Amino acid sequence: MSIILGVLEEGLIYAVMALGVYITYKILDFPDLSVDGTFPMGAAVTAALILKGVHPAATLLLAFFTGALAGCVTGLIHVKLKVRDLLAGIIVMTGLYSINLRIAGGKSNLPIFSRENIFENAFLEQHVPEAWSPYTAVIILFAITAVCKILLDLYLNTRSGYLLRATGDNDVLVTSLAKDKGMVRILGLAIANGFVALSGSIYCQHKGFFEISTGTGTMVMGLASVIIGTKLLKRFGAVKATTAVILGTIVYKACVSLAIALGMEASDLKLITSVLFLGILVASGNKGRKVKAHA
Amino acid sequence: MRKSMNIIMAAAVAMAITGCASGKPAENAANQNAATEAAADAKAGTGAEAAGADNSAAGTDAKAGTDAEAAGADNSAADTTDGASYTIGIGQFAEHGSLDNCREGFLQGLAEEGIVEGENLTVLYENSQADGGTASQIIDNFLAKDTDLICAIATPMAQSAYSAAKKEDVPVIYTAVTDPVLAELANADGTPVGEITGTSDKLPVEKQLEMIRTLLPDAKKIGIMYSTSEINSVSAIEEYKAAAPNYGFEIVESGISATADIPLAADSLLEKVDCINNLTDNTVVSSLPLILDKAAKKGIPVFGSEIEQVRIGCLATVGLDYVSLGAQTGKMAAQVLKGEKKASEMSFEIIDEAAFYGNNKVAADLGITIPESLSSTAAEMFDEIVTE
Repeated sequence: MSIILGVLEEGLIYAVMALGVYITYKILDFPDLSVDGTFPMGAAVTAALILKGVHPAATLLLAFFTGALAGCVTGLIHVKLKVRDLLAGIIVMTGLYSINLRIAGGKSNLPIFSRENIFENAFLEQHVPEAWSPYTAVIILFAITAVCKILLDLYLNTRSGYLLRATGDNDVLVTSLAKDKGMVRILGLAIANGFVALSGSIYCQHKGFFEISTGTGTMVMGLASVIIGTKLLKRFGAVKATTAVILGTIVYKACVSLAIALGMEASDLKLITSVLFLGILVASGNKGRKVKAHA
Repeated sequence: MRKSMNIIMAAAVAMAITGCASGKPAENAANQNAATEAAADAKAGTGAEAAGADNSAAGTDAKAGTDAEAAGADNSAADTTDGASYTIGIGQFAEHGSLDNCREGFLQGLAEEGIVEGENLTVLYENSQADGGTASQIIDNFLAKDTDLICAIATPMAQSAYSAAKKEDVPVIYTAVTDPVLAELANADGTPVGEITGTSDKLPVEKQLEMIRTLLPDAKKIGIMYSTSEINSVSAIEEYKAAAPNYGFEIVESGISATADIPLAADSLLEKVDCINNLTDNTVVSSLPLILDKAAKKGIPVFGSEIEQVRIGCLATVGLDYVSLGAQTGKMAAQVLKGEKKASEMSFEIIDEAAFYGNNKVAADLGITIPESLSSTAAEMFDEIVTE
């Protein structure tokens, strides 16, 4: 039972991040590497603010905004300075390493065990019955992820959301509508990195500490989740792409957890990830990026 | 297309089923163990010996053995002297000489207390290869396998373990955590924050500086390289900076963010200093041979922070022996496993004595004589440089 709860917790935490990667990779067609920096950034902001006495729930929003700011920077570098998408991401990711250390007050590891967080606080202790306590984390995570998903779905159906999708599919159309495709890209990157930093914030509160190394491999994990989700689940009835991404993250985490449980060395995990990744791409018939899941 | 999707889904379902199946035997095994222990308890109670089940003497062995067989439990576990067998998970944060020594020492310490791997102890070992995300997954896996205790090696692993294990009341014993108070694993007075305790590998900074002063009477500047991502190093640097003026030294620090930065940082640091001092920084220690090579070419001595570093070519250290640190930790774990004490009742421990280690070959190459006052107290002197 605890392994299932563990997978659900991990999966739901990273699902928020995967929603961000979904926006950049699937909707905008922009391989955004800055997420490796914005994930720990969300964690750093959260740890630093909680230590300053800011309410844990408020840190979620603040983390989102700092992440969005970093996303804007990636967008500006790409759009205004005409740096290639991959490079813009790498530049921001590298710079964020130092900035994250600054945010955390020069420390690479900031524990917040002794502080209240969204999973452990006086309110929950008073109002949640004892028997429920093993499930509170999953329930809270589910609620947060669901809110993120619904908000994103709603946004994608607004005028601005349609423009975002059009920019990834056919940016000539956007220009012909007399809209600035550059601004749309920047906006998309901002929202995406906001989600990633929000995910980092949740991660930090769940684990009880910030650690600079947590960002490594975020991009790959997000990409794997998005691809698993969209490729595996899009054909099953009317599953929305955002739902598919969330389920994809849980499936991904379940596979990793299964690999460990079956006695694979943790050092082989990255190889397992890449094999899984490739397997799904091949099995689902990778027809090239121009075929859009959401079109 | 649809066919391949079906295959994938079938595979996923198969995986899910295997997952459930692999989870079940673990639970069964745990139940059987519990049954065996209960049986052993009962026998001990009715037997002549007043000893508790844990220390039950030879008389109960045969009975415990047969009971175990009747219950269908693992025979190898039942054959041991005290009837109880344990499963522990060891999570190590990175692959690194000192941390490996910790693990080795930990198992030695347990063995000295009669808990021997392969006899009455099953060890699950995982290494997260310095990846924080993997660390927490390793801990989740240990918890899912119903381990009796988790041993966490290095700070991030200890924090992951504490954060996950406190929900399930599994005790955590850590080692190689430089500052448990700073890591919020212990209160300011050294008492644990929960079911977690262990040992700290805090460096004996004052003694090290004193030793450097004895060996290099004219030196003024000590260079220290450290990675900005390792909190242990950051706090050690602060301590060195605070203590250095008392011995007439100035600390020149050089922060790096990745292994790739080391060659340039070493070159620039070697221009500025009279000697180099190492911390227990994982990134820097992994690249130590490179630093030693560059320093040797310039005739600048490099001091280590523990025995392994002196073995591979540092001049000397007043440092830790991680094997004995691990052994001390193992003994603490044994007390918890046997139920003598709870982890929350034990304050974290630091290693009692720091010893001097020197390398005669390095000293001769540099034209330095290690004075009698130091070499006579040395725990170990090396006469060659071991390069593996």
